[in-house]
Amino acid sequence: MSAGWRTLLLRIGDRCPEYGGSADHKEHIETCYGMLSREYEHSRDAIFEFLLECAEQLPHKIPFFGVLIGLLNLENEDFVKDIVDTTQAKLQDALYNENCDRIRILLRFLSGLMCSKVVAPNSIIETFETLLSSAATILDEETGNPSWQPRADFYVYCILASLPWGGPELFEQVPDELERVLVGIQSYLSIRRHFDDIAFSVFETDEGHSPNKKDFMEDLWERIQILSRSGWKVKSVPKPHLSFEAQLVAGNSHRLSPISCPPPNLPQTSSEILKGQEKHEADLKYPQRLRRLHIFPTNKAENMQPVDRFVVEECILDVLLFFNGCRKECAFYLVSLPVSFRYEYLMAETIFSQLLLLPNPPFRPIYYTLVIIDLCKALPGAFPSVVVGAVHALFERISNMDTECRTRLILWFSHHLSNFQFIWPWQEWSYVKDLPKWAPQRVFVQEVLEREIRLSYFEKIKQSIEDAAELEELLPPKAGPNFKFVGNESSETTDGHKLSKELVGMIRGKKTVRDIILWVEEHMIPTNGAEFALDVVSQTLLDIGSKSFTHLITVLERYGQIISKLCPNEEMQLLLMDEVSAYWKNSTQMTAISIDRMMGYRMISNLAIVKWVFSPANVEQFHVSDRPWEILRNAVSKTYNRISDLRKEIQSLKKGLQVAKEVCAKAIKELEEAKSVLEIVEGQPTPAERPGRLRRLQVYADKAKHEEVTTEESLEAKGALLSRALEESKAVLKLLFKRFVDVLTERLPPVSADGEIPNLRTGDQNVNSEARDLETATMEIDSENGADKNSEPNGQNTKNSYNVGELEQWCLCTLGYLKSFSRQYATEIWSHIAMLDDEVFVGDIHPLIRKAAFSGLCRFTNEGPQL
Amino acid sequence: MASLFKVRIPETLIPLAPPVSLPPPCSCGFPCFLQDPSKLSAYRDRRFPGTQEEYEAALQASTTVYIGNMSFYTTEEQAYELFSRAGEIKKIIMGLDKNTKTPCGFCFVLYYSREDAEDAVKYISGTMLDDRPIRVDFDWGFEEGRQWGRGRSGGQVRDEYRTDYDPGRGGYGKMVQKELEAQRELVDYGGSFQPNAPPPYERSERKRGYGDRNDRGDYQRKRNRNDDRAAAEGSRRAPDSDPAEKNPRFREKGDSDEEEDDYDKRRRR
Repeated sequence: MSAGWRTLLLRIGDRCPEYGGSADHKEHIETCYGMLSREYEHSRDAIFEFLLECAEQLPHKIPFFGVLIGLLNLENEDFVKDIVDTTQAKLQDALYNENCDRIRILLRFLSGLMCSKVVAPNSIIETFETLLSSAATILDEETGNPSWQPRADFYVYCILASLPWGGPELFEQVPDELERVLVGIQSYLSIRRHFDDIAFSVFETDEGHSPNKKDFMEDLWERIQILSRSGWKVKSVPKPHLSFEAQLVAGNSHRLSPISCPPPNLPQTSSEILKGQEKHEADLKYPQRLRRLHIFPTNKAENMQPVDRFVVEECILDVLLFFNGCRKECAFYLVSLPVSFRYEYLMAETIFSQLLLLPNPPFRPIYYTLVIIDLCKALPGAFPSVVVGAVHALFERISNMDTECRTRLILWFSHHLSNFQFIWPWQEWSYVKDLPKWAPQRVFVQEVLEREIRLSYFEKIKQSIEDAAELEELLPPKAGPNFKFVGNESSETTDGHKLSKELVGMIRGKKTVRDIILWVEEHMIPTNGAEFALDVVSQTLLDIGSKSFTHLITVLERYGQIISKLCPNEEMQLLLMDEVSAYWKNSTQMTAISIDRMMGYRMISNLAIVKWVFSPANVEQFHVSDRPWEILRNAVSKTYNRISDLRKEIQSLKKGLQVAKEVCAKAIKELEEAKSVLEIVEGQPTPAERPGRLRRLQVYADKAKHEEVTTEESLEAKGALLSRALEESKAVLKLLFKRFVDVLTERLPPVSADGEIPNLRTGDQNVNSEARDLETATMEIDSENGADKNSEPNGQNTKNSYNVGELEQWCLCTLGYLKSFSRQYATEIWSHIAMLDDEVFVGDIHPLIRKAAFSGLCRFTNEGPQL
Repeated sequence: MASLFKVRIPETLIPLAPPVSLPPPCSCGFPCFLQDPSKLSAYRDRRFPGTQEEYEAALQASTTVYIGNMSFYTTEEQAYELFSRAGEIKKIIMGLDKNTKTPCGFCFVLYYSREDAEDAVKYISGTMLDDRPIRVDFDWGFEEGRQWGRGRSGGQVRDEYRTDYDPGRGGYGKMVQKELEAQRELVDYGGSFQPNAPPPYERSERKRGYGDRNDRGDYQRKRNRNDDRAAAEGSRRAPDSDPAEKNPRFREKGDSDEEEDDYDKRRRR
């Protein structure tokens, strides 16, 4: 018995040395309770704090903490009453602060306390009813604001989510009241609006019509209904209180003071645009935690009760939330949830659902990469093959996958493989080289290989696909510069070569930038023109900076001005990007990095980048390569990073100003006070303070004033920068959408005379045979390490062709990116929506363009529920 | 399976009196591990010009991360690809052997934002780059001079004393290399060679070429980073190993020698 009470609390329920390796939950609770009662006298307050922290951060162990508190309740009723009151107060706070995870977990905790006779069942029912009535009020047009349905949904969701934990007990003790709550939920569900999440689905169901699909509320409600019909049996929730029932029943249940919900945010306006914006805000505040992705066919995934699936998913998400950044603990808890059935497939589906969650996962995608790596190591016999199966299943449906998700999948997969020596049964996919170059499977493989090479090097990746040598065709060219003016004795005849050599000489000779600029202006531009000068200068400087990222930065920092001078306008900047692209034609990464840095040094504007990406040479590549999109993504995200940095700086300056003001006021007050102390000397009032002190106070006051003024000035300066950046971003958005509309309008097949919208996927068998694929897709789960080279190609014979034409695929792809940009920057777009409506989405916009842009925004239009 | 993860107590939950002021809680509203100062690496850079408190405060606020246990062959662009997945990168500074001016297995990555640096530490440390488990730690901030290896032979201190054969880091450690050199000479001169003093250096390992080794962490060493980066003056060259061993990415000496200045701290995007 060396482990301290804290450790015992943390480890309760785990098979671990602290509990002698035992898995007997009853024993755990007895051991831990024994320790707690011994320590209670010295450590009452510490135990109090720690118990609450444990309950909130290890929510899958709530039943255990509930029993412990129940047992404490027998001896120390006041202590437990404090716990109940504090929990109530925390819940109250969380409701007002809109802290979703806390609200959900505290409701579960209260349910757990109820199971152990700590909280009266009726108090739980009252809490549920308060939440329900608040939810109903929000939906009411008169008293509430239906734009905030996400909050209402969330409240009801929390009730439902706590029922697997407390439902059985409520059913036993207060069946009628529970029934009343369920009826209330039923009627709530009948008045709420179905959530059509077409904007957020990883796979585009064929043309978006899926009237029978349940949204997350309807789905959970169904699970709970099945649970209630089957007598509230939940396998996935531990019930340690049953073993202690005889003792616990003697405890005095505490009543919960009533909670209150924040009043509904009343609509500010009746304008449709502002309502849409408000709804968007509500969606962000109360996001959906999980959009379940069905990756595996039902015969593969574990067979479990609907409610158990929900409970395990919640536990997985909570571990991911609370053990973010604690790798080992995270993996440990993920693989050892206290349930009696296996759940690897479910776990993989849940993690992939997070990785691909739209608009954004709760954490950076790279977190899920790490989790998947760690799970492969923690469960070497089971998890790698599940991951292999998931990749195959997702790959099969890639042509139907959301564009943003495809990019995330490419980044994840290449990174994942880089952690497992790049071993993958590529030959199963070697057929893609016979597909047209725009086929999504082919593009996927090509982009994965590209990213693998960036993380490693060409020869290594080439070797990794040697069993599928056909795929070598898809490798990018071996990266290396492509210098136009290579110094070469025999061919060094053109002006370009000579001038380039001369420029190199000047740089070696440490000539100043000013001298070089003069030289360019006097020797190059007059005879050869500015474009030629840019050609020579940019190629030469890129060549000098070609050895590494740092070389590039150094050259741009030292000599960038020469380029800036040559590129005062967008036209020249476009040419500059052509130069970069030509010099680095064999390295997408260096092209992207160079353009990104040039934007960083303000040699190229973000507007110029948007224009360049939408120039003909790049537009041609939209459907066959990520190259132009990567550059566009970088430019737009840099634009918004600048804004968010400025906002943060302004925030902290404001705080600083507040402090400076207070300091200043205090200093002045002190000075005034000191001055006002008078004494009568020779019948005259005279300052009583020593002149030294007065002088010092004066200095302080002046200093403080100065500080205040300078902070104010820098705040003003930053404010000006911010408003400039905001103007810039507005211009970028407008241009971006305008260009999307232009290129798409040129190429989209027209709407037929009778108003029928063209179907771009008519040739795509993958879509039309979706249902069949799901059943026939077989997963390779026999390979031990997830990388068995001899596994048979599985059921791909049917897939060896891709029947969507090039133009259609181009349209699908570009529409996909349009949707993805509008979803990613929805908040910014909503704040400029009136401008966009006036200047971009006007006139005869093709309905498919409108659909893509608006579904990314979740925007409802007057022409129908959602186009 | 659980034995793989000798579980430590989640330190999140242990309320410690924080010795330095902590960053504000993250958006989840719960205390996060990064706020736990005990999680900061035990390594203390002896060249940091300040007190322990200042050192910790610098780490808590820093947007620079140190990357260790890299292969000598790993390029800046590879690091860029990997580390840009945690956020926008401002600068990369490769650690160089102070004699040969070639990469010697560490680097600094500077981010624009603190959160991005935290994510790099949380999500990249311990994962593979070029088939090696790299370590990522907060760094107090790059200063001119810190790009050079601090080992006697010019590289990192850890590469002085290693006794394993690490093809990604120039073969054996520098001391062992010298030892072997001396032995080879002995053999060449026909002297009788007694293998009792130096340990056997697992010669079979040498056959393993670059790229066909496993990832079981053979090269991950548990030594404190004090050893790696401690100050050690002196510039005597050890007999060179051949880092070029058929690796297509080997860079000639002097390839990275332009990194010596211009590290202005201006934040430009």
